[in-house]
Amino acid sequence: MVNPVTWLRERTALTATAPGTIEGGASVAYVFGTVLVFLLLVQGITGAALAAFYSPSSTDAWASVAYVQDQAALGWFVRGLHHHGGSAIVVIAGIHLVQTAIAGAYKKPRELVWWLGILLLVVVLAWAVTGMILRWDQEGYWSNRVEVGIAAGTPIIGDQIQKLALGGNDYGNLTLTRFYALHVIVLPVIVTLLTIGHIVLARRHGTTPMRKRAAVRRWPHQSLRDVIAIAIVFAILIAFVVSSGGASLAAPADSTQPYDARPLWYFRWLFELRELAGSAEQLVAMLAPAVVGGFLVALPLLDRGSDRAVRSRALWLGGLVGILGVIAGLTLMSFVRDGNSPELAERIAKAETRAHRARTLAKTYGVPATGGADIWSMAPMWRARTLYAQRCASCHDEASKDRKGPILAPGHKNRAWITAFLQEPSGDRFWGRTKLAKTEAAMKPVELKRPELDDVVELIYAEGGAADVDPAKRARGVTLFESACSDCHSLAEGVSGSGPNLAGTGTRAHYTSFMSNPKSGVHMGADNSEMPRFDEELTVVERDAIAEYLVWLRTATKADLDALGPL
Amino acid sequence: MADSDPDRRKFLQIATCAIGGGVGLVVAVPALQLISDPAGKQTITSPSAPFDLGPAERFRVGEPPRKIEIVAPVIQDAWTAARDVVLGAAWIRRVGPGANEIDARSATCPHLGCAVGWDAARGNYLCPCHDSRFAASGDKLTGPSERGLDALPVQIVEGRLKLTWERYRTGQSTKERL
Ligand code: FES
Repeated sequence: MVNPVTWLRERTALTATAPGTIEGGASVAYVFGTVLVFLLLVQGITGAALAAFYSPSSTDAWASVAYVQDQAALGWFVRGLHHHGGSAIVVIAGIHLVQTAIAGAYKKPRELVWWLGILLLVVVLAWAVTGMILRWDQEGYWSNRVEVGIAAGTPIIGDQIQKLALGGNDYGNLTLTRFYALHVIVLPVIVTLLTIGHIVLARRHGTTPMRKRAAVRRWPHQSLRDVIAIAIVFAILIAFVVSSGGASLAAPADSTQPYDARPLWYFRWLFELRELAGSAEQLVAMLAPAVVGGFLVALPLLDRGSDRAVRSRALWLGGLVGILGVIAGLTLMSFVRDGNSPELAERIAKAETRAHRARTLAKTYGVPATGGADIWSMAPMWRARTLYAQRCASCHDEASKDRKGPILAPGHKNRAWITAFLQEPSGDRFWGRTKLAKTEAAMKPVELKRPELDDVVELIYAEGGAADVDPAKRARGVTLFESACSDCHSLAEGVSGSGPNLAGTGTRAHYTSFMSNPKSGVHMGADNSEMPRFDEELTVVERDAIAEYLVWLRTATKADLDALGPL
Repeated sequence: MADSDPDRRKFLQIATCAIGGGVGLVVAVPALQLISDPAGKQTITSPSAPFDLGPAERFRVGEPPRKIEIVAPVIQDAWTAARDVVLGAAWIRRVGPGANEIDARSATCPHLGCAVGWDAARGNYLCPCHDSRFAASGDKLTGPSERGLDALPVQIVEGRLKLTWERYRTGQSTKERL
């Protein structure tokens, strides 16, 4: 039998580059690089899984992310790992950088390793920015607008940068496709190449031992420390993902809906700095990162001696600590400032309600092919309810202060409603607030008593086309109608009288006709109605939608109405 | 020096692999679970009610089969709710004068799922992919398909043709609904 490991070793000649040894012994100080490689791999694996669901188009992007987040098995977890994993990379990279600086490992001949590391950090930060826009929600959309806006402020080439980033003059499909290409192809390749370069060079130079101890083999002595560190970091990451429910997802991007855009937490210090800088914000936004980056790049050139003792490098390490301290302080200030604003908290709460509503609709009804921004239209009877809220509610809604007409509410034109109306047509919830109610022309209460009254009610109720009509009662109602109502009202189609024609009252067609022209002879008549005509203000389809809603109200309860959800 | 003790080294190696493997599993399992999620789901759904294909009398005895597109008024495709989406096509033919004598065949080839066309010159169906031929009745004539064209359930309700859209497993001699 051939040992497969030996076989592979011989064929690949990989023995030559076996893990090797570590000068000065294994150390926890060396784990961070390996942890970073692990975190990058996690991004690759979770990213590939997410890419199998993601659709980079302005109509589908939010919908596909919402699908992963709320419907696909463990989608929220994988997406959470990907999102918070990005943050973990920034944290560990920061520690790695500080550890390297303290060890003086940027000194000759390791300057290139250090510079590649700084470059990697910059690229990784940019990588996160390209990822945020992909979700195409309010958060990603608005924070990207701000970021691209800052880039657009660059002297001379700003305008070109903006057009290049957006793929044209505004946010759309091309914005997403190019950020997607950057995020899943271009930047991963660049990061991989830089990482390989960084590691190969670092291995060539070996570690910079802080203590004098015998060399040990990397495998398994350092490897065990690495893998334990990986396990600990990963456990913290998972705890973070689970406790936060994964990554956030706001309502779909909507250029008409304001949103309190905040950058990712590791850019919060810049955000705060801009806030403090006032009118100099553009300058500060460009300068501050340049100063920090410049200092890091210059460090090996400034701190040149071969002495690695921390004490003798106090000036430079102090500078690094100072910069990190300022960044931490600004970050804290930004979060405290936000935390102290009750108005902001209110707006955030509102945005969260919207997000929840949008995601519930997407999960229940799917996202319309026209895109996430139209998700609201998936709510039941959305068109009718929106029109009602805009055109009808001020005169007809119970909650309206300026109500002028009868209340339109659940139970409208059911038996109980008709009964109450006939007994007191000028009651407050009926015609009470109309001008008509105070005139001679107002309808008088019907003087019939039960059970006769019920028979007339059944007759009028039957006109609405309900399925549960009692034919015997209705038949008795016909006779009673003749004697009690027919002076003013008719049940024959098209006949005008002093009161409204009641043929088909409560049906969709009747509502549509009434809305079109309430002043018509078959309805209220020219002098008795304050309600405007809607035949020109609303389309046939719109009137029909409202009529459908009014018919629905007849059998609905308050609970049914609430169950439709907000608009 | 630690390196000198082979037992300890062995132990450290096993511990490293065990921890590494455990972490790897926690990354890989959820990712695989997510990727395979759609495999166990009906990701594309349309109303199951039969489609109205218009008055049944527009199909006449003796006419060649007519291809009718089956358009779903609304479908849900993973995250999208779309209207008026073509699900597929059916070949419809009147086989006799009786009200119910209408035959509908799925235009999906039972061999490997290509779209079957009507060869007017020869008066039979031809699947262009691997040259399976089917008689006007739908029966298999020549070629690799193991069964004839799949009949789709139809009904005549108040003079209108109603068709139930179904998909069947391809590449086998028996008709099996998907
Ligand atoms: S798919 Fe029709 S013959 Fe092969």
